[in-house]
Amino acid sequence: MTDTIFHFNGAENAGWSQPPPSMDEAIKHVPENMRRRNLPSWPRASEPELVRHYTKLSQKNFGIDTGFYPLGSCTMKHNPRLNEKIVQNPGIDRIHPLQPESQVQGLLAIYYEMQEMLAICSGMDSVTLQPVAGAQGEFTAIRCIQEYHRERGEGYRDKVIVPDSAHGTNPASASMCGYQIIEIPSGDDGRIDLEALRSAVGDDTAAMMITNPSTLGVFEPEIAKATEIVHSAGGQMYYDGANFNAILGKTDPGRMGFDAVHYNLHKTFSQPHGGGGPGSGPIGVKGHLSKFLPTPLVERRELSDVDPGGVGDGFWYHWTSPECSIGKVQQWNGNAGAVVRAWAFYRRYGRDLERMSEHAVLNANYLRFKIMNPDPKLSIHAMPVEGCPADVVKHEFTLSMSPLKEATGVTGKDVAKRLLDFGYMSPTLYFPQIVPECLMFEPTETESKEVLDKFADDFHTILTEDPEVVLSAPHTTPVGRVDEVWAARNLILRFPKGEGSS
Amino acid sequence: MLDIIGLSSMDELFADIPEDIRFEGPLPLPPPQSEEEILRDADRLLGANVNLDSRPSFLSAGLARNFVPAMVPMIATRGEFLTSYTPYQPEVSQGMLQAMWEFQTMISELVGLPISNVSMYDASTAAAEAITCAVRVRSKKADMPNTVYISDFVPPHRMSVIENYTQGVGIEIRKIPHREDGLLDLEAASSAHGSCAIYVEQPNAFGILDEGLMELRNVVGEKTAIIVGVDVTSLGIIEPPGEWGADIVVGEGQPFGIGPTAGGPIYGIFACSKDFLRLMPGRIVGQSIDSDGKTAYTLTLSTREQHIRRHRATSNICSNETLIALMGAMHMALLGPVGLETLSTRVLASTRMTIEALSTIEGLKFAYPNSPVFREFAVKVPGKSSDAINHMDRLGVIGGFDLGRWWPDKPSWILIGCDERTSESDISSLCDALSSWMEESP
Repeated sequence: MTDTIFHFNGAENAGWSQPPPSMDEAIKHVPENMRRRNLPSWPRASEPELVRHYTKLSQKNFGIDTGFYPLGSCTMKHNPRLNEKIVQNPGIDRIHPLQPESQVQGLLAIYYEMQEMLAICSGMDSVTLQPVAGAQGEFTAIRCIQEYHRERGEGYRDKVIVPDSAHGTNPASASMCGYQIIEIPSGDDGRIDLEALRSAVGDDTAAMMITNPSTLGVFEPEIAKATEIVHSAGGQMYYDGANFNAILGKTDPGRMGFDAVHYNLHKTFSQPHGGGGPGSGPIGVKGHLSKFLPTPLVERRELSDVDPGGVGDGFWYHWTSPECSIGKVQQWNGNAGAVVRAWAFYRRYGRDLERMSEHAVLNANYLRFKIMNPDPKLSIHAMPVEGCPADVVKHEFTLSMSPLKEATGVTGKDVAKRLLDFGYMSPTLYFPQIVPECLMFEPTETESKEVLDKFADDFHTILTEDPEVVLSAPHTTPVGRVDEVWAARNLILRFPKGEGSS
Repeated sequence: MLDIIGLSSMDELFADIPEDIRFEGPLPLPPPQSEEEILRDADRLLGANVNLDSRPSFLSAGLARNFVPAMVPMIATRGEFLTSYTPYQPEVSQGMLQAMWEFQTMISELVGLPISNVSMYDASTAAAEAITCAVRVRSKKADMPNTVYISDFVPPHRMSVIENYTQGVGIEIRKIPHREDGLLDLEAASSAHGSCAIYVEQPNAFGILDEGLMELRNVVGEKTAIIVGVDVTSLGIIEPPGEWGADIVVGEGQPFGIGPTAGGPIYGIFACSKDFLRLMPGRIVGQSIDSDGKTAYTLTLSTREQHIRRHRATSNICSNETLIALMGAMHMALLGPVGLETLSTRVLASTRMTIEALSTIEGLKFAYPNSPVFREFAVKVPGKSSDAINHMDRLGVIGGFDLGRWWPDKPSWILIGCDERTSESDISSLCDALSSWMEESP
């Protein structure tokens, strides 16, 4: 504990300088009873001390920049630095969301272009950029669907159907809108069980939430039938866009029959995920849901003589409020910085966005092939089995480590921890829960063949080495295996009071 | 690569997509651009925006035109931080985990409550989820289950978020009025006694520091959760709500760490007492030990969260605003306790200087002249506030926020926001611009 930030204990004002207050005794304007009695026990550090502290911490953190990050469902692709440079522009960093339209024409133009681009890519009619995370996009779309049913006098529809392989946010988001969740089983192959769906739908069905390709990385060819079943019961179809990287430019949720979709700009469009956020989760909807979208959206009209300026494209951009808007889900207009980064990313591909999906899918299939076809000369303890047998997968795939566990006692978690020793982030562990001892791999389009080859070789090494080494992994990381139970039992959630500086 | 896996074309990788739902032909989008071309377009578009630092600006209304130390963005965007995901593998994520544990400590110290999470999306979702959390914890024993009282000064855009988050789960919201002087009507607030929670803001939307809120515990009793929304910058000089009985403190973290960024990414803070720990939203980092008994950090209490608890989770939040919270931690650490006090005092001083200067303008009225304020205050102009703001805009001054946009019954009110960067020349530009409008207007 001696290396926490709270052990910096320099002199008053040691850290960093700022101008003095512009008037003396301003504090007399605050009633005495309201004045703070004890200052917070924050560190008293200098800039060089803090730069070193945080640099050391960064060296104990793994990012895409550090190495291969095949974390399934999270689409950890390279984050182009151009995008970081662009958002340092004061024209985004130093903008207030309540500035008049005349002062933010450039930002509105980018919003408009992103709304249009996302609608085109997804086969939807209207897009809002306001939700700031995928889960919030889900929540927003379910709210729109809820208002849609209420307006039609069908507010009694109180159930949302999700497959048991769905991302946890799907049921959690629907539940926050007050819906009951009906979970239906997936087939052994990870596909929708159409019979189970038929018996689950009814007059009380508000919506079904599903992702395609599924969380097993397999495209659901009968999606149109599922859509038809839900629609004929009067329900709405919601597309979880977490796996959009697999199909962009090849098909779209609109063609599959969906009514609403969210996009993860921090996955498909490379907004860096920064240790867990920020994200950005815009949603698109078909025409019948458009009027319920959060306020405001961006529209444009031809520039007229009275407009002061514009961005030089002959249009005037302005905010507008949908007719029966659900209101706001974030206080302002979403994570504008993420929208601008995603805009820069999309501009790099333009109409060739489908190349991105092609290479993501090629990389996933290649890596799966390499892992499942090891050098016959290797004596492997036990090969994993595929989470879902399929000729081709999409952008990700699942493997069950059950055979290894049976043969040697080594679990999926042990393999995941051992991969850290080889300089990789582990694949997603134990999700989806329908695959026992599951590891889920998503290499993304930005990895080279050499990286994938090396990874497959290292993976095979783990399958052949002394199980004891794997069981006790990791061995080369800044700390050994962390005791999560200890953390939950002891609940030390902050630096203890009175032990550091101050 | 295709050869190796036994395929002859890219199309075969997509053969599982039925033909009738395939996208034919290229996307109707512009051609790809190079880095140079994108940067040129970005500079052109973003350059068409008017940034707050290029003019005297008095627009605040919940976000601060702050000064962010140079170190913050430079170190926080080191690739190891910037390009990492949620720290599910603690052995290779000790850096971010420790930084977030330190962040939790600094927020805890700032607001006077023992527990903080790693961030919410913004102040509005932090407030909304504080309310649903308080109902989960307090409803069973409350005389008025599922009922929450909220100050009617909470601005409509934040209120709208709260309504969206509470409408489906059967929470009834009742409003508490404020008095003529802008202070909360404590007599009316006493009706919250026996409800699950009361939500108030300190300072409120008109910048008023409300001493009466410190009596809330006596007013609402022990069983009603007190939730307070704060301006984090004020807490260098204002007694933190945790010290006068608040159970949950939320607010906009943005003044520490990042510019207003057109409204996002920013971050919400969420801190609470132990009662709420097991039903609170968001990620929490705990200290632990590794296999050698060495100190280590890890995400903890994950069984509250959606990836494990699914529809019974305490929230759907997954992605949060960790990187921005990291920027916040760096900014707070650079300030230190004394720097925080100085910063708060600077904002207060700017506010008072601006008030003093404006009080010389004849015909301009202060909406709440006798109440202490921090950062913001409301004035009434003779005429429409939108006209006054447009006039000042033409003179190159961002003169504040037209409160008529939030409250149609206040068409002549302007919310004027100050900050640590408000200079004497900014203030005289504001006075000149407002005076000239008042002279010209009928």
